[in-house]
Amino acid sequence: MRRTSNRTGDHAMTTTPAPVVLDVQGLRKRYGQLEAVRGVSFQIHEGETYGLLGPNGAGKTTSISMICGLLSRDAGEVTVDGRKIDTGAVAAKAAIGVVPQDLAIYPDLSARENLDFFGRLYGLGGARLRQRAEECLELVGLADRAKERTDRFSGGMKRRLNIAIGLLHSPRLLLLDEPTVGVDPQSRNAILESVAALSREGMAVLYTTHYMEEAERLCDRVGIIDAGEIRAEGTRRELVELIGQEDQVRLTATGDLEAAAKAGRAVAGVSGAAVVEGRIEFVVENAGTVLPSLLEAVGRAGASVRGVDLVEPDLEAVFLHLTGRALRDAE
Amino acid sequence: MRIALLIAAKDLRQRLRDRSALLVAVVAPLGLAFIFAGLLGNATSFHATYVVADLDGGHLAHALRTDVIGSLATAGAASVTDVGTDAEARSTVSDGKADTAFVIPAGFTADINAGRAVTITLVGARNSGLETAVAQALARRFGDGVVTAQLAVATTAAAMGGAMTADQAAAIAGAATSMTPPVALADSAAPLRQLSLATYFAASMAIMFLFFSSTFGIVSLFDERRRGTLARILVGPVRPSEVLIGKTLAGIGAGLLAMTVLVIATTLLIKADWGAPLGVAALALGAILAATGISTFVASFCRTAEAAGSATAAVAITLGVLGGSFFPVNQAPDIMATLTLLTPHGWFMRGLGDLHGTGAVWTDALGPAAVLLAMGVAFGGVGLLRSRKLVTVQ
Repeated sequence: MRRTSNRTGDHAMTTTPAPVVLDVQGLRKRYGQLEAVRGVSFQIHEGETYGLLGPNGAGKTTSISMICGLLSRDAGEVTVDGRKIDTGAVAAKAAIGVVPQDLAIYPDLSARENLDFFGRLYGLGGARLRQRAEECLELVGLADRAKERTDRFSGGMKRRLNIAIGLLHSPRLLLLDEPTVGVDPQSRNAILESVAALSREGMAVLYTTHYMEEAERLCDRVGIIDAGEIRAEGTRRELVELIGQEDQVRLTATGDLEAAAKAGRAVAGVSGAAVVEGRIEFVVENAGTVLPSLLEAVGRAGASVRGVDLVEPDLEAVFLHLTGRALRDAE
Repeated sequence: MRIALLIAAKDLRQRLRDRSALLVAVVAPLGLAFIFAGLLGNATSFHATYVVADLDGGHLAHALRTDVIGSLATAGAASVTDVGTDAEARSTVSDGKADTAFVIPAGFTADINAGRAVTITLVGARNSGLETAVAQALARRFGDGVVTAQLAVATTAAAMGGAMTADQAAAIAGAATSMTPPVALADSAAPLRQLSLATYFAASMAIMFLFFSSTFGIVSLFDERRRGTLARILVGPVRPSEVLIGKTLAGIGAGLLAMTVLVIATTLLIKADWGAPLGVAALALGAILAATGISTFVASFCRTAEAAGSATAAVAITLGVLGGSFFPVNQAPDIMATLTLLTPHGWFMRGLGDLHGTGAVWTDALGPAAVLLAMGVAFGGVGLLRSRKLVTVQ
């Protein structure tokens, strides 16, 4: 079945088969006593953007490193475009484009020279390489800076070049590992637009992030990962439905917010509580019933409530519901 | 191999843009060779200035002046001028116009003929130790000749019962001093294989700094790891061995570039005479492989680019000292000459010396070049095996 996306998280099914580009099954990795990845499984179809949403240390980068063959795995299988991937699968790795979390460019080469080098590694050359380099530079908005050494670039420009290198060889699967970390809002927007454009062109994209807004904006489906496990997977709507009839209550308050969140968590009917960006988020069974007790508990904990919002649950609320913590709590 | 060449070409491009690398690879060795050769350059060609005050005027004084001291002038090793008085001779030396003065006293010839002791006075300038030592040797040589002649005359006179004319005595003395020594030292090869100081220091600095050029390939691997570009390369359709080969080729390429520039520059700027081009090329290639191999071996014990850079620099300088990069080995104790053969520097310099022997041809350098190649293969092979961990996924 071909998946089409309206970027709101709902998929319309058509009769056209949608090829699976990435198939990950039972991926495991242990570092000594720490099991960093614990049986991660998911699939990504052609033209689909799949988000791995989780806090730092959840196992996102380790999973991506195993998927692209950079890291050996203790168990599991990875198939890209029908070919098994492991650390020795040299030819099969050509189907993957990787945008690492940390910048991986040569500062003493120009943007164009960086693209030329990595393009030739993937077998591009001549007119094809020139064309792809120009297209990629255009896509990330660096066409007019192509001949400039990259050590003169801003952080955002380096990030965009980092992405351009990953998609230079027109991979079937693009792995983006937190590509917007440390990027200014303008560059972040440009990056997200670029990724959306690639997905529209049919590229399968695996996008890891700990920014809930990015996952909601970009991804057709999201896997919520925590402590090396995918806790839930689906479209945004499917994930929000996991909360069921629960409501998300957002309190604007002053005082000891952590103590207030802890006190609120003990109230009957509250399934999750966390301090997020100076506010307290609660997931409750029925806001109308629970709210008076909740406000009383928060007040007793020493917080002065200035405002109460009942908001539509989002992926942040889903994470809170699934793990009992906010996404940023775990960082 | 395509990938390895691609990585090597990229590394060399980066290397050529690094001004500090240019400084280390070319400017420093060229500058040091220039300085060393300039400082010590006069030591290779001996030339003295002597002044002679012949206060005697007899035939033996004339023989000393013309046949002994004058022979150096004839050979081009000295300039000799004559003055009339002892004071004039001394002032010529003290004024710095001559290195040493010979003062032949009045009655010199008569005293020798009479069998009396004579004294030749030598006055040496403060900074002309070597020239004065040569003058002393000349005077002793003359004295030895006189003793030989006197002994021959006395022996003959005794045999003849003491009856000998002056002409007979002179003939015997002449025959005694002109006899060919029964023992002669044959030393045809050693001095002829000696390099000029300009060539010596050009070559010794070139091979010492070659280690700094050749090491960059393997050291850049640490930089690539830290920068994340190595991981980016390895997620592509690339074998880890191709990365290692590429880095090794980059080191060899950098060494080749540095050596080529240095050979040409020292030839043009300080008149270094490297020898037959094919022989020099074989030696240079062997030295580059040896330097790259040893650098790779040393770096394989390190964990960071900084540690690898420091370790290879320490090894380069130690080998340079042992290998005679800072002083000609033929002026050092014998043990040093033996130790040089443990270093690529020693074999490189030996090979260059072989190219300067009498009737030398370029193939004379192949022996030392083969030793250098073996060093490179042995150390480089082990180093590459050990370096696999740098490009191995975990």
